[in-house]
Formats: sequence, structure tokens, C-alpha cells
Amino acid sequence: MRYLLLISSLIIQLGCTSAYRNLQHTTGDPNNLQRFKPVITTALYKIDVNVIGKYLSGLLLLKTMPDSSLRMVFSNEMGFKFFDFEFAPGGRFKVNYIISKMNKKPVIKTLRKDFELVLMQSLDPSTAYILKDSSLLYYVFPRSNGFYYYITNPAGDELVRMERSSKRKPVVEAIMKDYHDGIPDTIGITHKTFHFTIGLKKIVR
Amino acid sequence: MHKLLLIGLFISGGISLKAQYTGYAPLTDLSKFKELFSVEAQKVTSIKSDFVQEKNLSMLSEKITSQGKFWFKKDSRVRMEYTKPFTYLMIINKDKVFVKDGQKQNTISTKSNKLFQQINKITVDCVQGTVLTNPDFSTRVFENKNAYLVELSPVSKNLKEFFKTIVVIVDKKDYSVTNIEMNENSGDNTIIHFVNKEMNTNLPDALFAIN
Repeated sequence: MRYLLLISSLIIQLGCTSAYRNLQHTTGDPNNLQRFKPVITTALYKIDVNVIGKYLSGLLLLKTMPDSSLRMVFSNEMGFKFFDFEFAPGGRFKVNYIISKMNKKPVIKTLRKDFELVLMQSLDPSTAYILKDSSLLYYVFPRSNGFYYYITNPAGDELVRMERSSKRKPVVEAIMKDYHDGIPDTIGITHKTFHFTIGLKKIVR
Repeated sequence: MHKLLLIGLFISGGISLKAQYTGYAPLTDLSKFKELFSVEAQKVTSIKSDFVQEKNLSMLSEKITSQGKFWFKKDSRVRMEYTKPFTYLMIINKDKVFVKDGQKQNTISTKSNKLFQQINKITVDCVQGTVLTNPDFSTRVFENKNAYLVELSPVSKNLKEFFKTIVVIVDKKDYSVTNIEMNENSGDNTIIHFVNKEMNTNLPDALFAIN
């Protein structure tokens, strides 16, 4: 009985422990992160989506509009449009179009947060701070229900990965690499709590 | 007053019709066209063609152009292979659809997916000449010296969500499809142009094989 209690309390403690508990505060300028923000006028990506055993592919067009909003249109290869999202300055978001099968609040919310993380459109450096461990820097941006972590090498010139986390652990991990003229060639988004991945590869038109 | 309204309606109807399809006049004898189209389409056993696809995003003032190769063989077999600027293969063989995207490949039974079945039927019906009898659409036909313009308006709620109209241009010379234009409610559209067509050549069945 005593062992059972001990094991139970250990499990509870481990479960409640933050994955970021060993990080220490360090000084630095959160604005340094701007160098990794995708600078998009227009970009076309091949997109692959795997969600709970289902596979969906197509094209994702990103375009910055004259009003500075970023439009994101996902269609399949034959031109059937799935959604048209708008990310406006100040964190505003609008669904211009979505097919009825995808028109569900959790779907839209998840996609919005995933792309907000990688597009870095609505980050507020005034609330951000920097943490470190022995090998990496963590640029932390508090959000309403958790944090966005942008994790770089100690010099801050290589983006190792991005994480969207709850209060204690990462729920989404993302990478962005091979930048050309400010636009990443490869973007990958992986959910940690259920099987959902998004892969983007830039198309040379 | 009634007469005035009638004249107004007549004029506005005439204007909208002309504005909709410049250079085309409505076809008067639809049943004769249906009969001719069906007879001529029966003569087509296979089509080999290149295609250019344009996706026009009106609000974004953007056009996504892709191209590839197209094969059709009776009955109901279509192979579309996108080669630029990305690679993507789709084979329709009766009620099955095979998709290959990079290393990933997938076979879908259109019987279990009604929307896929309807979309699949559009492509096959257009090239096979049975588009006029597809109950998923109401049809209007226009013509000029060289071509027929077939306007398909979706009847089912499923398809109405995707398309406002589908416009198919048929060459009068050989009754083959030269253009398929899928118009969305938002003003966006996708146009597929078929070029370098070869009719009734021998196409191996292996092209359409789905394992």
C-alpha cells in the first residue's frame, strides 16, 4: 500500500512537472527573432497533411496583400479550394472561405494557431523574455493559454525549432529551414497530443 | 407597366446572356445537339493530350499555372499526370481513384465518397460526352462558328458548395473538349486547356492500372 502511494505520487509529480523547468533566464533582445520571420510577398508551397490516418495533399498559396494582411489559400492539385484564411496585423484573423467538412471550430482554431506559430505574424516582443539551457536559447512569447517558444542555437543565428506549449509541455513542434530571400523552403508542423502533421515544401514557379 | 417590365426583363436578360458568354449565341435545338454530341462522342475511343491548368484567385489577383499530360480511354478511364511545377498523378478507373503524390500513394473508392464520385464523374462525363445527361447538373448550350459552350449548373447541395457553374468548350470539328472551366461562387475559377490532342490512338491498359 505504501509503495502504491509512493508510485502514484511520483506519477502525479512527473505528470505535473514542466518540460521547461530546467531553463534559466538570460538577457537578450527578443527582437533578434525577427530575422526568422518569413518575409512573404507571394509564395507557393506543396502541402501534405496527415491527420489521424487520413492523407490530404495540395497547394498552399501565401500572399501579403496591400493592407499588410497575409492570405493563405489551400486547394488541392486540381484546383478545388479547401480554405482561404486571412492573418491581419495585430493578431486579427478571418476565415474568407472554408468547405463545410472542415468548417468546425476546433479545426479552424488548430490551423490558425499552427500557422500563427510559424508565420510569426502576431508576436509581441514587449511581453517576451529569453531562457536558456546548456545548448540552446528559448525565446518565450506568452499567449492567452500557453506559450510560443522559438528555440535557437546559443548565437541566436539558427532557428532549431518552434514549440507551441501548454503551461507545462509542448503540444506542437515546428521547424522552418533553408531560407531563400527571407522565405523558408521547408516548413514542418507536428502535433504531440494526436497524430496530425503538416509538411510544406516551396514550389519554384 | 407590365409591358415595360417585360421589355426591361427581356433587355436585361439579353444583356446578361451576351455579357456572360461573349461571342456565343444560345443554341435553339438542344435535343439535336444532344443527339449529335452523343453520336460523335461514341466515336471517341481514346484521347491523348497535354493540358495547362490555371487556378485564378480573383481576390488575391493571383494565378497558379500547372501543366501535365492527360489520357482517356473508354470506358471511364482517365489518367492525369501533373509534371510542372509539381508532380502529381491521378488515375480514374471506373469507380476507383488512384493518387500518387511523391512517395505517397492512395486508392480511393468513389463509391464510399459521394463528393469524389460526383467530381470524378464530371471529368469522365466531359471527355466521354455524357455530360449532358448527368443528373447532377442543369444544362444550357451556346454556340459560335467553331465551338459549342456547355454551361453546367450544379443541382445538388454538395456540388453547389464547390461550383457556381462548370463551362465546357467543345470543338465543332471533332466534338472533343478543348476547355473545362470550373467557376466558384467566390469568383475564383480553375480552367483546364487541352492542347496537342490525339484522338483514337492505341493506349495501353497499363496506363490506367490501379493495383
